[in-house]
Amino acid sequence: MMLLPCPWCGPRNVTEFRYGGRAVERPDPGTTSPERWRRYLHLQKNPLGWDTENWYHSAGCRRYFAVQRHTGTNEVRAGEAST
Amino acid sequence: MARSPIAVVDGHVRHGWEISARAAAAELTLRDESPLAKVVVRGPFAGSVRSRLGVPFGRIIRTEIPDQGPVLVVGAGPGEWLVLGPVGTGGGLVVALEKLLSDTGEFVSVVDITHGRALVRLHGSAARQVLAKVTGIDLGDDATPDGSALRTSVARIVTDLVRDDRDGAVSYLLHCERSSGQFLFDQLVDAGAEFGLDVTGFDTGPGTVADGRGPR
Ligand SMILES: [Zn+2]
Repeated sequence: MMLLPCPWCGPRNVTEFRYGGRAVERPDPGTTSPERWRRYLHLQKNPLGWDTENWYHSAGCRRYFAVQRHTGTNEVRAGEAST
Repeated sequence: MARSPIAVVDGHVRHGWEISARAAAAELTLRDESPLAKVVVRGPFAGSVRSRLGVPFGRIIRTEIPDQGPVLVVGAGPGEWLVLGPVGTGGGLVVALEKLLSDTGEFVSVVDITHGRALVRLHGSAARQVLAKVTGIDLGDDATPDGSALRTSVARIVTDLVRDDRDGAVSYLLHCERSSGQFLFDQLVDAGAEFGLDVTGFDTGPGTVADGRGPR
């Protein structure tokens, strides 16, 4: 079992959550180019090591939050607040 | 006549609902309390709604809503409250709560969800062991004392889990989407069989709402 530290509910089983993607900066839709927007929507890096991700607590508080997860070991630590 | 999503045993009609007349003598009981009025209130996490309802996220309080009588208010989520009242008070509760929260200046929504959800009570000293079979939550007194509320997965169903001890015994309210109610009920009956769980009727057993009496 993998535990995720929800800032509202405390540690819970990962099955209570939905993955919300890597926490990457969203380009301003008013000024971005189609290429950059496409890259933001569809192209994701898949790094080995520590990464910051958004998760959605669908079976709990129904809030998004960010955690840092090591993609090699699944070790998790609390991350920056989701943007 | 209104019907619970959970099939009724020995049904008769009272309070405008088909309810069970069954009275179990077992120490560990499961009771369908879906006929109770259920109202959800949403607003800012830490504003006037919280102070007026008198309870933060994660806790419950028994209180009175003006003109409506006793209710149980559950801090169900961040900025989300569940108000449980006597049978048939849903519409009146919405009006009274909107009035109570009207001058807060905050964006508040109040919705009667009585007929959209299922509510059951698992009561008895073995209730903790039954629940431990179907949820990953730490049910010990340190982590989940009497009066605590949380939302989690129970038998894989998203469920509001409220610890509300009655008559000196451990007691839990479980609240989920209506369409999952029968399934959750059946799972609890199955999990509780080894502890002697019996299904009891709506008018029997420990009181359901704020004053300790049964529904009126
Ligand atoms: Zn949560």
